[in-house]
Amino acid sequence: MQEFATWLESTWISKSLFAMSWLWPLCESLHFVGLCMLIGGAGLLDLRLMGMFRGVPVRHIKAMMPWAIGGFLINAVTGLLFLIMQPHLYLSSAVWWTKVAFIGIAAANASLFETRLALPALSMDPDADMPRAMKVVGACSLFSWFAVLYCGRMLPYLGTGN
Amino acid sequence: MAFFRSLQNSAFTEWFLGSDSIWAYPTVLTLHTVGMAILVGASFVIHLRVLQVAHAIPLQRLLPLYRFIWIGFTISLLSGLALFVTEAADRIVDPVFYLKMGSIAAALWLGLIVKRRAIDRRGAPEVTTGRSRSMAAAALGLWTIAIVAGRLMAYLKSAA
Repeated sequence: MQEFATWLESTWISKSLFAMSWLWPLCESLHFVGLCMLIGGAGLLDLRLMGMFRGVPVRHIKAMMPWAIGGFLINAVTGLLFLIMQPHLYLSSAVWWTKVAFIGIAAANASLFETRLALPALSMDPDADMPRAMKVVGACSLFSWFAVLYCGRMLPYLGTGN
Repeated sequence: MAFFRSLQNSAFTEWFLGSDSIWAYPTVLTLHTVGMAILVGASFVIHLRVLQVAHAIPLQRLLPLYRFIWIGFTISLLSGLALFVTEAADRIVDPVFYLKMGSIAAALWLGLIVKRRAIDRRGAPEVTTGRSRSMAAAALGLWTIAIVAGRLMAYLKSAA
């Protein structure tokens, strides 16, 4: 992994991107805007699955999801740019790998919802109490995204040995 | 000015920035971001809905999101006050800081007007008026400006 980071850092693309001094702050700003879109949109669905906003059909809430996915894509692209510009900083950080793991958990949780629970959720009575499985999936998603945020923000401070 | 200088040079600042503990500066900084995510995330959802995204959701049903707006705002305000103290003298003369504060104040104010016009009103039409939509679009822009200004402040600090 160290070798890969060293190689990536030596590439033309990594050097020229990092040389653009405005790119890093721009990507950080976009990363923060993207996270608000993601946590706002996904959080709304998560809270609905956990039983809030009862009376609003889940399928109506899902119409907000393209904005959450858009926020995720903004952060995936800007995050990839951070990685290309400073590979050692991330690849050697346990906190960064923890962040990646929580993104994986959130993604697995979302695909579990889409493949197993979305159809019953879309057709259920909007006033009914949410089944436990849906509450768990909603809470797991919300927790995972905040864990991703925590790891990202604490990355410069945790496990750096100082 | 002397007051802000004394805040910045206070024993609190020395402890807060000098501490090796992750529970001091890093945790407060992270809380500031968590507050932002809740505050701006909930605001984004409301304003997007006013702009007719997910238009089948009755606007009045989104009223509980204002509770999240105030929770997120309180977290960000308290953590922001602690962060401000440590750089009080620098920030009080920093135009970017005023841009951030102004954008936040205007965005919150627009959020309250949108609430009164499109959410609180009994029997408010589900299709929002052009005026409400303009306000929602402006609020989305103002939140984005506040976030960018906040990020920029970190760079102006390291340059100083």
